[in-house]
Order: sequence, then C-alpha cells, then structure tokens
Amino acid sequence: MTLKNKVSKALLSLSLLAFILFVVYILYINREVFYTAHDRSEFLFGAPFFHTLLSKPFGLMRYVGAWLTQLFCHPALGSGVLVIFWALIFFVGVKAFRLKGSASALMLLPIACLLTSVVDLGYWVYISTIRGYWFSQSVGYLVMLLLLWMARQTPRKWHLVWYLLAFCIYPVLGWFALLFVLCLVVTEKLTWRELIGIVLLVFTANIWHTQLYSNQNFSDVVLAGLPRFATTIDSTERLSIPFWVLGAVSLLVSCRLTDWGIGRLVDWSFGRLVLPIVCTVAGVVFTCSFMFRDQNYIDEMRMVRYAEDDNWKEVLRIAEVNKKPTHTMVFLKNVALMNEGGLLDRSFKSGNIGFPITNPESLHVTLLEIASPLVYYNYGMINEAIRLSFELATHYGFSPFYLKVLSRCALAKGEEKLEERYTTILHHHPFYGNCLRLPLSRLGHSCQHDGSHCPIGWQPAPVTAKVNELQHSFPDELSGVENSDSYIVNNISFWYESDSKAASEQALFYSMISCDSHRFWPSLRKYLTLHEGDIFPVHAQEAYILFMDKAPEEKRVMIPVEETVYNRYIKLLDVMAKKVKPGKTFGQVAEEMRGEWGDTYWFYYFFGRQYSNTSDRNANEIQS
Amino acid sequence: MKRYISSYIILQAFAVMLLSSCANHPSVPSDTSASSVLPPIFPDYCDVTVPYNIAPLNFMLPADEYDECVARLTTSDGQQQTYGHGVKVQIPESEWHAMLNASKGKSIKVEVWGQKEGKWLSFSPFEIHIAEEPIDEYLSYRLIEPSYIVYDYMEIAQRNLTTFEETQIFNNKVTCDDSKGQCINCHSYQNYKTDNMLFHVRVTRGGTVIVNDGKISKVDLKRDYTISAGVYPSWHPSAKLIAFSTNQTHQSFHTAHPNKTEVYDLASDLILYDIATDSVSVISNDSTLLEVFPTWSPDGKYLYYCKSVPLPEEMRDKDIRATYSKIQYNLYRRSFDVATHVFGEEELVYDAASVDKSVSLPRISPDGRYLLFALGQYGCFHIWHHDADIVCIPLVAPPSPDTPQPSPLDLTMLNGKDAPDSYPSWSSNGHWIMCASRRDDGNYSRVYFAYFSNGKVKKAFLMPQEDPEMHISLLKSYNRPEFMVEPVRISVNEFSKVFDK
Repeated sequence: MTLKNKVSKALLSLSLLAFILFVVYILYINREVFYTAHDRSEFLFGAPFFHTLLSKPFGLMRYVGAWLTQLFCHPALGSGVLVIFWALIFFVGVKAFRLKGSASALMLLPIACLLTSVVDLGYWVYISTIRGYWFSQSVGYLVMLLLLWMARQTPRKWHLVWYLLAFCIYPVLGWFALLFVLCLVVTEKLTWRELIGIVLLVFTANIWHTQLYSNQNFSDVVLAGLPRFATTIDSTERLSIPFWVLGAVSLLVSCRLTDWGIGRLVDWSFGRLVLPIVCTVAGVVFTCSFMFRDQNYIDEMRMVRYAEDDNWKEVLRIAEVNKKPTHTMVFLKNVALMNEGGLLDRSFKSGNIGFPITNPESLHVTLLEIASPLVYYNYGMINEAIRLSFELATHYGFSPFYLKVLSRCALAKGEEKLEERYTTILHHHPFYGNCLRLPLSRLGHSCQHDGSHCPIGWQPAPVTAKVNELQHSFPDELSGVENSDSYIVNNISFWYESDSKAASEQALFYSMISCDSHRFWPSLRKYLTLHEGDIFPVHAQEAYILFMDKAPEEKRVMIPVEETVYNRYIKLLDVMAKKVKPGKTFGQVAEEMRGEWGDTYWFYYFFGRQYSNTSDRNANEIQS
Repeated sequence: MKRYISSYIILQAFAVMLLSSCANHPSVPSDTSASSVLPPIFPDYCDVTVPYNIAPLNFMLPADEYDECVARLTTSDGQQQTYGHGVKVQIPESEWHAMLNASKGKSIKVEVWGQKEGKWLSFSPFEIHIAEEPIDEYLSYRLIEPSYIVYDYMEIAQRNLTTFEETQIFNNKVTCDDSKGQCINCHSYQNYKTDNMLFHVRVTRGGTVIVNDGKISKVDLKRDYTISAGVYPSWHPSAKLIAFSTNQTHQSFHTAHPNKTEVYDLASDLILYDIATDSVSVISNDSTLLEVFPTWSPDGKYLYYCKSVPLPEEMRDKDIRATYSKIQYNLYRRSFDVATHVFGEEELVYDAASVDKSVSLPRISPDGRYLLFALGQYGCFHIWHHDADIVCIPLVAPPSPDTPQPSPLDLTMLNGKDAPDSYPSWSSNGHWIMCASRRDDGNYSRVYFAYFSNGKVKKAFLMPQEDPEMHISLLKSYNRPEFMVEPVRISVNEFSKVFDK
C-alpha cells in the first residue's frame, strides 16, 4: 500500500469517525425534540389508520415511518434505529453508486440531508401533518438504494424491466421510485431504454392518478412522499430543501461513473485525499446551517413533558433558570405553582412576562398548539381541554399527547367508556401497552407506584383534588370560538364568585395578571374570605398596595400589609419618578428597573402587562 | 436439492399460513368453570334480532380481562361451528350467511368461553334471532371526527351491510386545493335509490351536487329571498322536488356541561326546490319562529317538519346564549298538492313542548303508519344531547286539537341509556329502525339497528365490523346514516368533474 493510499484511507476513516461523532452529538442534543416527535406523531392501531395511509401513494412508507416514530418514546432507542438506517444507507449506497475508496465519503452527503431533515423542523414539530415523517424518508431512500444496487447487478438490457418495476412500485415508494429511475438513467449513456424510462417517469403520477388514486387530489399523487410543509395558514419551502439536495446529490453521485462531473475529481489524486474531508465538512455545515436550535424551544418541550406527568417540581426547576420564558413556559410555571403551592408568593419572582418564541418563519404556533390542552386540564376547564385536543388532533393527528390528555379529561368528566377507548388505543403503542413497558417515569402514572412493573399498561393519573375542585367551581355557560392565552386569563379572573379556595386563588392571580381593578377587588375580597387566617401572600400584598394607590374602591378594604413591602412600593414610585422622563421608552425604563424590581408584581403591572388594553406600550415613547 | 427442499418448506409454510388465515375453528375448551352471566362481549349481540342478510356479527371479549375467546354457534338444524382467535370471534362471511339462511325465522345459539389467567370460563349461552325480513343492502354515512369547528379529511362513504365492503362516495379533498378547506354534508336519496340523490359542498367551490336520473349537476340554492342555501333536504317520493330547510346555524361550547357542544339556529325557514325548473319557492318563512327538518310522507301528500314554539315575551329579545335551552320544537305537517305545488294549512302532529320536550328529525315509516323522531329537552340538534332518545308514535288518525296526543311506543330496546340517540330512519321495508347513537362512550356516534314489527321493537345491535376492535380504533363518528337499496355507482372522480364546470 502506498503512502498516498494509506493517507487517503486514514483521512477517510477519520472523516467517517468525525461525522459519526457529529451525528451522535446532533441526535443527543435533539433528544427532547425526538421525544416530542413521538408525542405529537399519530400512529393508531387497526384498519382505519392503515387504510387511510395506504389510500395514498407512499402510504406504506408513511405507515412504517409512523410505527417507527413511536420508538422516539425513548429518544436513544429511536435515534439508534435511525442511525442503523443511515449506516445501511451508507453501505448500500456505496454498493449502489459503486463508490470506491475515498469516494464512499460521498454517501455522507445524503445522510447529512436525512439528519438535517429531522433537526430543522423547529416549531413545525407541533403542527406538521405529515404522518411518519421522521423515518419514512430514511426507509424510502434505503429501499431506493437497494433497488438501485440490484438493478445495477443486472445486464443493461434488463434496465427496462427496472424502469417498469419503478413505475409499478410508485404507490409504495412515491418520489423515491422516480429518483430510482433517474439515478439508473444517468448511470448509462442514453439509449431508447433510458428514453422509455424517462417518458414513463414523466407520466407515472398521471397514470396512477387515473388508475388508482382518482379519489385523491392530483397534488397528493405527484411527487408523492416528498415532504411538503403546508397547513391552512403556514407554509415553507425551506424544510423541503434537504430532500431536494438529497435527490440532487444522489443524481450527481450516480453521474460519477459517467464521464461527467465528479468522477474526474475523485480520480484526481488530490481530490481523493480531500474528498472525505470536504464531504464531512459539507455535511456538518449543511446540517448546522439548517438545524433549529433554541433553548426556549427545548425548555418548552421539557416542561410539557414534565407537565404531562404532573412532575411540577421539574417544571419549576426549568422555569427558575430560564430568564426569558415564552408565554407557554409562563403558563406552565403558574400551573406548577398552583400545584406545588406559593403561586401568590413566588410567581412574579421568576417573572410573568412571556417572550415570543423564536420563530423565523412566523409560524402560527402559540401556547394553543404547544400546551394549551394541558393548561386547560389543570385549571379544571375540562370541556375546553377536550375541545382543543379534538380541534388540534383533527388537524395534526391523534398522537399520544392528545390521547393522554383526552383520556385524563374523560376520567375527570366521569366518562369511563371514553377513557377506556383512549387508553385501549394507547395500549397498542409499544411503550404504553403492557408488553414493552419500561420502568421510565415519563410514561405514565398509575404504574409508577412500584416503579417497575405495569401489568395493564398506561393509565391516566388519578384526577387530582385540585382539578376536581376547580372543574366544579364555575357555572356552565356557552362560550364562543375564541381560544387563546387571553381567554384563559379572562375566564379565570372571573372565578371570584366561586366558593372554592383553589378557584379564588386563581381568580385573584389572574385578575392581577389582567391588571383590572374591577376584577381585582372582588377577587381579593373572596380570597380573603376563603383564606381567613392564612398569611397574606407577598404578591397579593403588592397588588393590594398598588390598587389602593391607583384604583381604590369607594368602600375600601383595609388589610394590614408588611411594612417592608409598603416601603418598597414607596421607593419604587420614587425611583420610577426619577427614571421616567420624556424621550425615554417604557422599555428602556423597564430594563433599568428590572434588576431591583423585576421580582415584584409592580414591575409586571407597569412594564410587563400582556393581557390588558395597554399591553404593548413598552415600545411607546413617554410623553410626559 | 437443497434449493428444492427450502422451496418446499417455504411453500408448506405459506400454505399453512394461508389456511390458518381463512378460518379459525378452535376446539371447545374441556376443563371449564361455569358462569351464570352472559358473556361481556363487545359489541353486545346477546339476544338481538338481526336480518337474515346482515354481515357476520363479529365480537370480542375485553382484551384487558381475557386472553382468549371461543364461541360455538349452533343453528336450529343442529349445525355447529366454533370460532375464536385471541379474544376475537370473527366469522367467515360464507359460513355466517349459510348459518343465517338455515336459521331464517329461527335462532342461532351462541356459547362463549373466555380464558382468564389460564382458566376457561363458560358463560351463559345466548341466542341471535334471525328475522325473516332483510335489511336494505346499503347504508351511507359521513365519517367525521366528533369535533367542534375544525375539520380536516371528511368523506361520505357507503357500506354494504351484507358484507364489510365500504367504498367512498365523495371526499372533501379531491377537488379542494384551497386552504379554507371544504365541508361536505347532507347526503340524501329519493326513495332509497341512488339515481336521484344529492349532497352539499360548503366553503370552497360550494353548492349542492344533485344527481337527477344519473346526471350530475351542481346548483346554488341560495336566492335573494332565502336566508341561506338549502340545508336539511327531503326528496319528494315521486316528483322531482326537494324540500329543504334554510338555516343560520351557529355553534357554541359548554364550559362545564356534559353535552359539551350546542348547535342552534338563529333563523330557519323551509323552501321547495323544483329540479326541473331550477326554481326555489318558499314553503314557510315566519321570521319569529324556526322551521326545520322537513320530511315527506311516503305518499308525498304531506310535508312534516319541526317548528319552534314562541318564546315567552320576556325572553324574546335576549341573547341566544340565554335562551337556547328554552327553545322547543313541535312537529307539524302540511298537505301538498303535487300537481299545483300548493301546500295546505299547518296541522300540529306532536306537541312536544306541552310535555316540556323538543322534537327533531321526523321520519315516517314506509307504510305510513308510524312516525319516528328524536326527542330531547330543548333544541333540534339532539346528537349532542345526552337526554335525547328516539320516539315512535302511531299515525293512525288525522291529527286534530280534539284528539289526544298519540302514546309513544316502547322503544327502550332501541334507545341507549343516558346517551344521545338521534337521526332515526326506517329501512325500505319498514322492519328495521336505524339510529345514530353515542351510547358506546358518549362521544363517538355509531350506527344501531333494531327490528320493528307491528309496533314492537327488539333489542338494537351495533352495525357489525370485520374486526370488532374497529369500533374502538375508528376515531370518527358515523354521521347521518341513510339506508339505500342500491349503491351509489357514480365514482368520486365523476363527482369531482362537476366542480370543473
């Protein structure tokens, strides 16, 4: 072996190793995304789901992909399977494209595309309607490579048969069948066989549409399986790029064996040396430039996961270290405080100002899509939780997340048969049933008591006393179609009529959040009546002092407050009077005051209010 | 040689698999302990009466309680066969139909054994009674999530009741590229036949798709003088006329009530559409009252419909959210002259409000002797009302204020307990009543049938499925089930072409 060959081999090995480490790292840092992927991906047992998917081209791949997505329940397991698919893609691709030596590094590029496609979704993870997305492309591409490998083992005169086969299996492989034909065509010089292949390729979708899929929209048949990211209000082309690149790379690599393009580069000795490095770097750069990375995005997922398990301590732990929480995180934190205690003593200390999500594509994703069924459930607003779960699941699929919430709601409403239906469906999930159940705390509740064995599979956690109390603390009325975070705030802030202690605490808290004195005073009165003898919480004292100052009632309620709290308020007014000057914005003043006063209700009232008529005044200039 | 051996083994294995997949006839468990209760099978087919042409009544024992199930069916002439695979009993269609034919007018005895923790339990046997009257061969329904506002994929499908074959009549995606989506609804047929039928398409490329003697067209039924396009239809039995209600329908959501959803009309009238002349005439448009759910008598001489009772004076100007629970409908009818298209005076048929109830969805039996309707406390959209039941009254005498209100027949065998039962209808021979019911879990509506003869009703049974677990795994509701004596032969593709015009 010459030195050049040795160096070339070493560089290839090092590049592969570096790429593997990179893949493992990327998968590791996205483990929470993968857990969420399983939680928000629909896979239902039985004929209806199977037939629904199979009624469209590429349906089988989607079905297989949807089943495999369940493995992300344990992100390491799902990622491991994904890595196995990519390893197979590498080895089969090397054979299919007949890549030798350093040229095999070219197969890193398709893998980088597939890796990118599972880490670039961002908030689409909550609203994507593509069933089996996370695995179907890798499985489809692997099958395509296997076909290509086999096709190239056969004499050229047989290629026509392969073109016909590709046409026949379009319902299974979708756009990968077309890619297969193209890859096979470009490996050879054009003859009448290739021309027939191309003609067949052009008319494949049309023929299948008329013959088998006439009850489908043509747009669902053409390039079937190529992921298209579009909902009724959002769409993006960006997320389809990795798949176009995957196709283009596959074609280019196929061309290598002809006289055009890359073949010459690979045959060039220097090219042979640098190719593995170039491919690795290109793969890494491509993935990194498309990958969605945002701490709040991950933290939200973690909080939702813990909230699903009623693990409120963990929810609070995440909230405490996050200084710029999203609206979803703020709501989940307050639900956690309701359950752990200390809502009116601790909530404003960690801030109640929600920041917008990192949303480069301006997706319509809010608390609604991320966690609202959970929030509604925990506030005892079961009908709303059911409705939202249905509305969202109808769009995005009856994934474990929605089935779990619906199951808990059915239990809370006393609808045993309905709860049975949802849990039965969940039990067919490999990790929610009783066969592959692992002793992981995240999976369920009733089975955790002994921490090890669960003979009956996932069961909804018993309805907590708080949820039970809250769901019976407000009268029934007909509500409209509105559903947003302000709906929660407005609704709960009117619960002051209730004689429930839990409801009165929430009413007082959300009347403070709404910064509305007309709701604050009756809420406070009810709270004090029901919490007689309890310590007057700090934030309630702050609100009391503020509203006594800014919006007192004619008949004042006189309550003793701590002197330190009162003195702090006087100081705040003094400092604010000095800082608020014409020409400055409220936002600038807020930033100057955040350090000292950011832990108070007053700071929220003056600078952070989000659910009142003057909520967007931070950008406004102070006039006088 | 080796190759031949392995090929032989594979062939043998394949043959065994093929045979085992055809039918499973397990042996009856020998060591059993007897139980005096009926088996807890789902669906509950114990002692039901079924038509002789119905698809196999496949059932299962609860999978979380039992490991295996064996059932032995014995016909009246002594033929026996056993079935069971896991906890499911799925009977091959040919064997089932042979048993039904042998038992017409008689019963099939069913013995069930369930295995729990390695021990077999023998339940009390039950019978399936086979009626001599067949059920209409086809049924169509809309499959839709029992959702609120949002909808995604929606289809109107038809099911062959003698088999498990289900095909699509139309779906809401085939012609719709618009982000607003498309809603399809209210499929309806003339005299149970499909060469004259219709369904509505709303939102994108909306209109009413009408099939007139097999010819498809799309029409817009909205006129300047109507409050909406046609909504709830009823085909005249002999003329090319369709009575519709026109509705301003709204939907609100209960914040705590188990009913969850409330659907109500802010306004509704009745119109008559003449297909031949594409003309719409008003039947009834009292702006202070709500008229809805027209249905023709089988002879076409009367149009029955529901009409709201005036609200008390003090409630009339109040918001619908305050008054919705006070709106009650009575059942009326008007005579109709098919030659002149003139309607007679209104006659009260059933005064539901006098018993503090509200009537909706009337249907008259093919022989004209009985009237079915859904009855609830208030409103007209009873499929969300847990107190709603199906009621049947005899239509013997012409209604008049002097004659006493007819007494309802005993339909306890048809109605579910504390669950919404709605959308009743008659089979074409008048011996089968069908309704949509949420009795299984309060949420997903399923189709139930009950045998009807001389005013007596037998225990209702759930529409059978090939896999009994599909009743659980199908997360869609059966909406607006309608009997048909023949399938819709127009393909989805053919229907979709009407949208290109």
